[in-house]
Amino acid sequence: MQVYTGPWTKAEAAHLLRRTTFGATNQQILAAVSNGMTATVNSILQIPISSEPLAYDAGETIVPQGSSWVNAVYPANQTQNQQTENARFKSLGAWIAKNINQEQLCIAEKMAFFWQNHFGVTATAESRAMYHFLALLRQNALGNFKQLMKDVTIDPAMLLFLNGATNNVFSPNENYSRELLELFSIGKGNQIATGDYSTYTETDVAAGAKILTGYTVTGVRSSTETQALAIFNPILHDNASKTLSYHFNNQVLAGAGATEYANYIDVIFAQPQVAKYICSKLYRYFVNYDITPTVQTDVIDVLAQTFINNNFEILPVMQQLLTSDHFYDMSVRGAIIRNPLDMVMGVLNPTQTIPNFGLVGDYQTYISIYYVADTMGQSYIIPPSVAGWTAYYQAPAFSKLWINSTYIKKRFDIVSAIVYTGIPIGTNTLKMNHLGFLNGLSNPSSAPQVIDDICDVFFPKAIDATDKLMLKLILTGGLPDFEWTIQYTDYANDPTNIAVSNPVMQRMQAVMNVILKMPQFQTI
Amino acid sequence: MKRRDFLKNASLASLSLPFVSNGFSMQAISKELFEYSKNAEDRVLVLIRMNGGNDGLNMVFPIDQYANLMVQRPNILIPQNQLLNLTSDVALHPKMTGMQDMFNNGKLSIIQNVGYPEANRSHFRSMDIWTTGALDINQTSGWLGRYFDSTYPNFPADYPNVNFPDPFAISMGSEVSTTCQGLMGNFSHAVNDPFNTSNLLLTNVTNDGTYYGSHIEYISTLINQTNEYGTAISSSANAGNSLSNLYDPLNPLAVQLKYIAQMISGGLKTKVYIVNIGGFDTHDSQVDQNSLADGNHSLLLEMISDAVAAFQNDLHLLGLEERVAGMTFSEFGRQIASNGSYGTDHGDSAPIMLFGNCVNTGIIGPNPTIDNQINEQAGVPMQIDFRNVYASILRDWFEAPEPSIQALFEQNITYLDVLSGCSVGLAEQEAQKQKPLAYPNPTPSNTTLRFQAKGEQYQIYIVDQQGKAIAQAFDGQLATGKQELAMETSKLPAGHYYFLITSTSMRELVAFQKV
Repeated sequence: MQVYTGPWTKAEAAHLLRRTTFGATNQQILAAVSNGMTATVNSILQIPISSEPLAYDAGETIVPQGSSWVNAVYPANQTQNQQTENARFKSLGAWIAKNINQEQLCIAEKMAFFWQNHFGVTATAESRAMYHFLALLRQNALGNFKQLMKDVTIDPAMLLFLNGATNNVFSPNENYSRELLELFSIGKGNQIATGDYSTYTETDVAAGAKILTGYTVTGVRSSTETQALAIFNPILHDNASKTLSYHFNNQVLAGAGATEYANYIDVIFAQPQVAKYICSKLYRYFVNYDITPTVQTDVIDVLAQTFINNNFEILPVMQQLLTSDHFYDMSVRGAIIRNPLDMVMGVLNPTQTIPNFGLVGDYQTYISIYYVADTMGQSYIIPPSVAGWTAYYQAPAFSKLWINSTYIKKRFDIVSAIVYTGIPIGTNTLKMNHLGFLNGLSNPSSAPQVIDDICDVFFPKAIDATDKLMLKLILTGGLPDFEWTIQYTDYANDPTNIAVSNPVMQRMQAVMNVILKMPQFQTI
Repeated sequence: MKRRDFLKNASLASLSLPFVSNGFSMQAISKELFEYSKNAEDRVLVLIRMNGGNDGLNMVFPIDQYANLMVQRPNILIPQNQLLNLTSDVALHPKMTGMQDMFNNGKLSIIQNVGYPEANRSHFRSMDIWTTGALDINQTSGWLGRYFDSTYPNFPADYPNVNFPDPFAISMGSEVSTTCQGLMGNFSHAVNDPFNTSNLLLTNVTNDGTYYGSHIEYISTLINQTNEYGTAISSSANAGNSLSNLYDPLNPLAVQLKYIAQMISGGLKTKVYIVNIGGFDTHDSQVDQNSLADGNHSLLLEMISDAVAAFQNDLHLLGLEERVAGMTFSEFGRQIASNGSYGTDHGDSAPIMLFGNCVNTGIIGPNPTIDNQINEQAGVPMQIDFRNVYASILRDWFEAPEPSIQALFEQNITYLDVLSGCSVGLAEQEAQKQKPLAYPNPTPSNTTLRFQAKGEQYQIYIVDQQGKAIAQAFDGQLATGKQELAMETSKLPAGHYYFLITSTSMRELVAFQKV
């Protein structure tokens, strides 16, 4: 795998941005072209601070509207307690959609979802804990994975989710211990003997469960505690020594109380398979589902070595991947089918369609968008299983699983709604920012240039010339190009006059309604 | 249906034919039986959008204004002796012989000087006005979209369904029509080729062997599978016919109208078809300076005239003439004075043409007045508001009640008699409703038989073309009143059949076609 040195045009820049963000504008793509690959990759490899989710729903009875609830108690009254939790759950879902819709041009949101998919944690009716878990993933999305693994292991949301909170010396619970090996770190290989999965054995699962004993969670939905907290209770910990299988050189871990789990993770991470496993997941998420033997040796093994050399820092791996010749190879362009958020945000973000309805209106809009993705199979905080979404691991279909006959209709319906009538949310309507998008194109008064730019933004590869011509004829309503130029110029000279702006908008509606229903748009 | 034809068909349909088990061919009357048209529910409207702004003065010539036209547009005005006279003071462009014949046969009418107040000469804005049927800049729904909304309120959520399996409107091409934009959805379905009803709006999708190509192919297949209307459209097109040999395969409008004839004759219940023809923005070279009856505009007019004439001929041969009417429109006419480039610039009003067997023939509205001195950039002033034309079509053709029509438009409607040529009286309509009827017909699967029963024992047989009973479809007592019986016809081979309804007092044949 070499550093990419080929042409750096809109096609390459747009490819990079499609894979690492939820949708760049035409101007952002052009800026990436002029900044060059290295500078662009460096600038997108950052995780900006995000604000906390705010209370907006009337069900929230503790903090005032517009305040953060992530460190606030719950009501003592059981009914109110549940109402408040419901309100916080919606706020959290809306916050996720808002972060994605208003992302800076960087990898933070794509990376955060990578980890959410990786750990597969479902919100266990404690939105504070879920928030802090998501914040942990996000904050460390490009950080040290070994440390993240340790932090996640004793995170309250994870302890609640995989029974770590009830795993104790008297009745060890293997749930987390198993997933730690099978899904989170080293990955499960082929079964080569009874209870032996190539990379670990049932012995390790049992030993791991004991190693991880002793943690409990307090303050869940508490009316007095501002946090759900992980507490280590030595009485509940199995402090005997544990012996691991031959996959870990039969190592014996001495009882070490509250930090024993960290020692165990160090042992697991000493196996080179951990880096390979994580890099293969990064590859599937960012590049392509198909890991051929060549990709394994030339890409994943190389990335894994970088991962190990950098003591499991993620950033250098991503830097190497996103500047590699393989990443820009034509064979992997458009190789991923958009997940639902990528589809919906892929419409909203490049057009800078952003609600501006005040706090409550915005949050209501964002929770609606969250649920739109949910109805198409992607509920961000409720993954289908701890293994995450099937589209990232289920061979041979992989990302094809995001689309079926029901989901494609929903995708088309949402496009029709956004493009034409808008999505009604309460008293507000979220409509595509057609004119803002058009004005941001390189030369909006030129019909062919408008279509070229739109294609650059939405399609991973060049489309057929006759299709482009058809799109242009839709834009111009079949008239000669100069008529579009006249109409656009009239509008540009008098932008607040709807008598000249509406006709322009209607042509854009017609074009966008077609473009966003073309199969090419469904891929990134 | 014209009264004469109605009576003719009514008498045929009510003939109580003896049932002969062999040798009696009913083929001779089957066409007549098919022809009997039902009601407004079966009527089809075809809109031809002339995109770019049609120069009405180079299409419909006010002969009594010829001298002043010569003053205003001397470099493009076709010599008077080449024009095709329709009346003593109205003539058509020399290339519109097909439409001249239609006019002479009572199948074409012309409404003069149609437009709207304070014409907007932007193509885009003016086309929006014509498609929304409103001058209000904030109106985003189309005039037919609003009509459909008022009739089918839960669209698109509840559609298609068992009762409405077909699209309400079809827009030929890749783009749905603003004319059919409703509040929640667009009632038109974009169709490039009814025999290949891929829902892919654009077509050039190939699997190039890459991962991307395989995804595109997969998604394309899925889109086609979920194309709810696709099967209905293609099976109708395949079941349908086109009998005219007048269509020129090189005439793109003719090709599309032929598709429409095939869909209608195949039983598609779509009520509105919209076709587009571009190129009317004739700022220069509108005419050939060496032969003023030739040139770009003449090619377009010839294309329309030939295509519509072929379509009308086809409808006649298919027995569908009384179910289909059509209208042309354009976003504006052009200026009275020509420019130095043998062309014309954006203007105001223009004539529109209505065609079909049911049009009120003739020329509606007076000729425009052309002065020998006109203001710079003068267009033809409006005399008939386009919204009144729309409203009149809804009243005459779709038999929409006037109050609900008025609710669709922003100004007080003044009706014109445009399409009442086939209206039948109430008594006749009622008589018609009493007739036994099979629907859908033609049917791809099962069908429903509707007739008035008289409280007797009934046997119903399915009879083939040779008059041979091939199945007993019903045997039982029926109460007095309208009956709607589900008939199992799905397993019949494609072909023409009859239901034979028999009782003590009744013996009726009802033709149907299995497709």
